[in-house]
Amino acid sequence: MRQRTLWSVVLVMGLAVTGCGSAAPTQSSPGESKGRIVVWDWKSGEPAVASYVEKAKADFAKKHPDVTVEFVAQPFDQYYTLLGAATQSGKGPDVMLFNGGGQLRDRVDTLLPLDQYVAEDKQRLAGWDAFSKDGKIYAAPVTLQGHPIYYNKTIYQKAGLDPANPPKTWNEFVSGCAAIKKTAGARCFALGNKEGFGIQFFMSGLGPGILTPKEYDDWISGKRDWTSPHVKEIFALWKKVNDDGLNNDGANSTALFNDAFAVFNTGKAAHIIGLMSDIGHWKDFGEFLGADQVGVMTAPVVTDGATPVLPYDGGIGYGVAKSTKNPQLAADLVRSLTSTGALTAFYTGAGAITSDTTIDVSQGAPAVAAIVPQIKGGKPALHVALSSKTLDLMGRLSQQLLSGSASVDDVVKQMAASDKAS
Amino acid sequence: MPLGGSSPVVRSAQAERTTGAKFEQPGRHGSTGRTPRGARAERLAPFVLVAPAVLIIVALRLWPLLLGVNFSFTGDDERNGSFVGFDNYAELLNDPLFRTALGNVGLLVILLPVAVAIPGLLATFIYLRVPGHRLFRGVYFFPAVLSPVIVGAIFNLMLGFDGPLNAALAQLGLGPVDWLGDPDIAMFTVVGVHIWATFGMALVVFLAGFSTLDAALLDAARMDGASLPQIIWHVIVPGLSRTIQFVFVTTMIGMLTSMFGLLYVMTSGGPEGSTYLPEFYVWIQQGRMNRPALASAASTVLFLIMLVVGILQVIVLRRAGRED
Repeated sequence: MRQRTLWSVVLVMGLAVTGCGSAAPTQSSPGESKGRIVVWDWKSGEPAVASYVEKAKADFAKKHPDVTVEFVAQPFDQYYTLLGAATQSGKGPDVMLFNGGGQLRDRVDTLLPLDQYVAEDKQRLAGWDAFSKDGKIYAAPVTLQGHPIYYNKTIYQKAGLDPANPPKTWNEFVSGCAAIKKTAGARCFALGNKEGFGIQFFMSGLGPGILTPKEYDDWISGKRDWTSPHVKEIFALWKKVNDDGLNNDGANSTALFNDAFAVFNTGKAAHIIGLMSDIGHWKDFGEFLGADQVGVMTAPVVTDGATPVLPYDGGIGYGVAKSTKNPQLAADLVRSLTSTGALTAFYTGAGAITSDTTIDVSQGAPAVAAIVPQIKGGKPALHVALSSKTLDLMGRLSQQLLSGSASVDDVVKQMAASDKAS
Repeated sequence: MPLGGSSPVVRSAQAERTTGAKFEQPGRHGSTGRTPRGARAERLAPFVLVAPAVLIIVALRLWPLLLGVNFSFTGDDERNGSFVGFDNYAELLNDPLFRTALGNVGLLVILLPVAVAIPGLLATFIYLRVPGHRLFRGVYFFPAVLSPVIVGAIFNLMLGFDGPLNAALAQLGLGPVDWLGDPDIAMFTVVGVHIWATFGMALVVFLAGFSTLDAALLDAARMDGASLPQIIWHVIVPGLSRTIQFVFVTTMIGMLTSMFGLLYVMTSGGPEGSTYLPEFYVWIQQGRMNRPALASAASTVLFLIMLVVGILQVIVLRRAGRED
């Protein structure tokens, strides 16, 4: 009996120790081993970027042949949740992918400033602002994310409009929309606002035609005047466009990804404020409409004095964890992930407009040829300047505007308060 | 004869016990020196045996729970890790979104009788053998095996503004309804789909309850000329009171804890945050807003709600037990 008790105690203690050991966080991080770098992203599992990852790995292997690079592709829906949990428990990756803007800026306390490592790449790559905070760079841009207004040239032809000369002013645009509805039976805009992203695209896509250049620059630099009539105009126009039937019906229950894009792709709407990176962009639309039928236009001028530009920022970019054991190695991998060879493969494979301004895209589709020259004169997108919390609020308020349960004045008041607090 | 037959059995049992006691005696006396230790070992044995379960519960359940509660008193962002007292809880109370989420919990409780009545009525019809009852039993249960994500995707198509349901309504001359885009309707739509997807399980419980119902009572009611509503109200409902209480409790737990998948797919908390539940709020704050401490506070509040609901359930079940 005594022996049995003793054995039971030993067994229980063993189980307890094993159990506790596995539940408790350990101090070792994946990057502790000098010969291994762990990368987290949501891209590397996609077939379209396989060649990009291979090129980047090969570039890195040339400099560090004895170091293993492990890519861990996470589902995008849960990416930041998983990353937050991993970072909190001290088990985060060495290198990680971020969306530019709020998602990165909210997490800079866990990231290593990269200025000294990426100095050589500063000229070659564009889109650094979205990955910087307080003058320091925290990630290197891979793609550029912008919001061109795409239009369907076939619908323009049906409506008797000139596909080569899209409207320049808001009045021209609206009268074109009336013709489109009448003769082509299509709506003017494909809009999905189920998750509240629709207003972000609208603000950045049409904002350059609403704010004057000074107002635009002030907005980006953080001096946002929410009481300005032009800022109010963004929200008033958002509501008016919907009230006047320019959007597809049921926008608040239509997902932007991929339902609103499907509305555009199937010819049910003539315009969509899309993206430049690897989804909802010229290549996706071209597969449905024909590459030659996808047009790109700048924002129609709503306010006198506004000079529309292409709104864009760094799209996605790789940063390095502050906790990494070998910052130089991790930074070198980031440089390989943003090398010209790798980014050329990203453009070829996924159709993304990458951050590398030296890549030759002259053989690309007409839409690419229309977008790329605008990059030089472009400015950061308006919505990217706002914090995640304010963007989340704007999403909900935009739904209230569409359903009529909030006024423009209510919205700008709440937005101003949230923007000031964050 | 029965008496005569029983006495040898009694005697035999007594004899066995006596013999057993006698048989045990030498052994006990034979190990006089080990008796206290042996007795102590026997006293300790139960503790040793339950120790693994206790350790697992403490290490993997209670300890993380305490860590979570402790974490809810720390700050996010610049105040990361520092003690902030009840600041997170104050922020939650001031957040209209969290208040909406709590309000929706109240809405779920109000809608609970509907969620119980539907499987109850359908099970009654199946029990009363309406034509095709075997087919209905299978059909009603079928959605219970589907993932909420699949159910959500199917209903997203069905309930889309340009979807088949609105097309059918248009045929009837009725205007389209934005089932998932109208803040006054969306929550009811999602709850309706949740009930559709989950009532099969409650139906099975009801059918199991019916198997314990005395068929003679139904026959008697029929003989007395009772109508169907009278049979349901005066015979079936009283006869199934314990089953109904059980289904109430399990359905409530299901509505409070397993609607996340459906909400995520169908409305993403929108429109206007009208379909937020605390669980969804926790996920958004932790994942999208990078506010883990605030999310911990929200999950602690959710835990307290569940605790109250759980205690109420225990009281209800205890009362149900007493009635028997």
